[in-house]
Amino acid sequence: MESKRRISTACLIAAAVLLLAAMPASAADDNACLECHGSVQKATDAAGMMDLKLTPEEVQRLAVQPATKGNVHLGIACLDCHPKAAEVPHPAGMLAANPCVTCHDDVLAKINTSAHRDPAGHAHPRAECWSCHTAHDVRPPGDPASAMAPVNVASRCLACHNRRDYLIGVHGQGIQLAGLDVAASCVSCHGGHDILAPSVAGSRVARRNISFTCGKCHGRVAETYRKSVHGAALTENDNPDVPTCVDCHKAHATVDPLLPQFRVSSPEICGRCHSDPKVMGKYKISTAVYSTYVADFHGTTAELFRAVTPDQPLNQAVCYDCHGYHDVEAVSKAGDQQIKARLLVRCQTCHPQATTKFLSAWTAHYIPSPTRYPLIYWVRAFYRLVIPGTIAFFLLYIGVDVWGRRRPRRSS
Amino acid sequence: MTARAEMIRRFTARHIVNHWLMLVTFVGLVVTGMPQKFASEAWAKGVVLIIGGVERVRFLHHLLGTIMALQLVWHAVESVWLHVVRRLRMPMVPRLADGQHFMQQVKFNLGLEKRPPSMGRYTFAEKLEYLALVWGTAVMVATGLLLLYPVRWASLVPGEVILAAKAAHGGEAILAFLSILTWHLYFVHVRHWNTAIFTGRLDEEVYAEEHPLELATMRRGEGKAAERRLEAWRLLVFAVATVLIVGGAAALYWWLRTYSGGLLTVKVPGLS
Repeated sequence: MESKRRISTACLIAAAVLLLAAMPASAADDNACLECHGSVQKATDAAGMMDLKLTPEEVQRLAVQPATKGNVHLGIACLDCHPKAAEVPHPAGMLAANPCVTCHDDVLAKINTSAHRDPAGHAHPRAECWSCHTAHDVRPPGDPASAMAPVNVASRCLACHNRRDYLIGVHGQGIQLAGLDVAASCVSCHGGHDILAPSVAGSRVARRNISFTCGKCHGRVAETYRKSVHGAALTENDNPDVPTCVDCHKAHATVDPLLPQFRVSSPEICGRCHSDPKVMGKYKISTAVYSTYVADFHGTTAELFRAVTPDQPLNQAVCYDCHGYHDVEAVSKAGDQQIKARLLVRCQTCHPQATTKFLSAWTAHYIPSPTRYPLIYWVRAFYRLVIPGTIAFFLLYIGVDVWGRRRPRRSS
Repeated sequence: MTARAEMIRRFTARHIVNHWLMLVTFVGLVVTGMPQKFASEAWAKGVVLIIGGVERVRFLHHLLGTIMALQLVWHAVESVWLHVVRRLRMPMVPRLADGQHFMQQVKFNLGLEKRPPSMGRYTFAEKLEYLALVWGTAVMVATGLLLLYPVRWASLVPGEVILAAKAAHGGEAILAFLSILTWHLYFVHVRHWNTAIFTGRLDEEVYAEEHPLELATMRRGEGKAAERRLEAWRLLVFAVATVLIVGGAAALYWWLRTYSGGLLTVKVPGLS
């Protein structure tokens, strides 16, 4: 039995050597390679005959499908990348160093300036070409079977990067569920070979550049944003405090802003910065905007609504119903009269009978004081005195009464 | 305490029903109102979650508030009937004697007076609570109506008044709730376990302690006011007053409700 296997192994090797020796290196000699590597079954048989103890994963890796139409490397022979393949049994180090560079040297130059360059500074990149493009069945991104087709990009990047929340975002779902190949995949925003970390100034996803990156698809929105108080501060002064697209919409788990949950959670998004004294103090903006909103009719309803039904349509005014969103402006930019006129229009959107008198039913985020909204201030002050005063009187009387009733009575 | 104390009738079915209605609406309004005042607190969200959403909380609050407002209207009509037509005394009206009773009670408790005050059908504590309740209900109903129809009211008064009403509505609510927790709880649950407003009857011993004057009057057989003949002009006054009160309330309601066009539904994405 043992001798039989030895003989067949020897025959196999002899055949391979003969075949390889007889022909010059070309696509034709791929057939010899495919004798052993052509399928999982063939690889299993060959490994068995050569007495190699391989795990199923290793066998899987050794199996190479014959190149088919659409494979951009159809004319390239196995030996072009695996020069030692002629030696049978194969020696170690079968893969040429940087085999792709032979043709794609321009790409390596890009990789070496990108986030995927070798941290040790070698020519060898941190991510191998085939980590993304696959090794053998390399196809152009437009081919649905390509590893770089929009639908497959995420699975490649997610193999190393733990950003699975992209898959539940509107873009990930757009590609994966709705089959919208135009939706943004990883490379749409981060780029491919020239990818840079967000902290690097030239990165597509650096704060300054985000609106342009999103603007590739959301052009008008990005343009409007750059004119807003937030966008202008970023593009003109490189302001580190203003939100970019991803601060409100999230970079990966982007919620469809047309869904009810975005509207319901929007006050909390604005409130994150606008109730932070560290950020608002720099610009002398009140941090009471969120608390005054929640204390008012619309905000109270929105707050309680969100707690119970965060995914149901909310018909209460939220921040952006009055302030706008991508086009949000500084209130100080408009005059008092202009603010009132615009506010009235906003009110009348839902309260068609609203008049100018109705406008003061909203303190415009101001906390009432003796000079501003004095009536509200004094009513509050009244109760701030009367409530503790009354209850203190009650408790005092009760205390005396309890004491009096427990005191031993005079004989009567 | 005698083994089986005599129970003396103190309240009639009318009193008992009035109190039940007030109890249910008051508790319901506190439960549905406080979460709205303290919307950002976790417990408020929990209460709203249990009730089943802010819309249901609002609906219940408005419903119970309407019942409480109707109680106020009913009480006004009832008072005119009892005191104008039937010519009964108005035992809830505060008198100078109530102040004296209060002082005497405090002094007695402190040991400066030998005897506690001898009080009639309603003690000063009960009168105080009654007046606070009537006043508080009136404030709550008035401010509540301002909050319920803000745009309508803003055609008459500046919007600031609506927010002042909101502040008053919340403040008065806290005051009422805390008053019930202190004053009411102490007098009818702690000082004596007094179930008279549910059963209509009060233990003779407690009666003798709290309302000795009334008990003495009853014992002398003067409690029952002699049945007086209904006089036509008094009935006429009652009819006019009733028409004015009920008609006024109805007219107010009509004025608030018939405002051409209500709240427009906002065009919300996802909301058809």
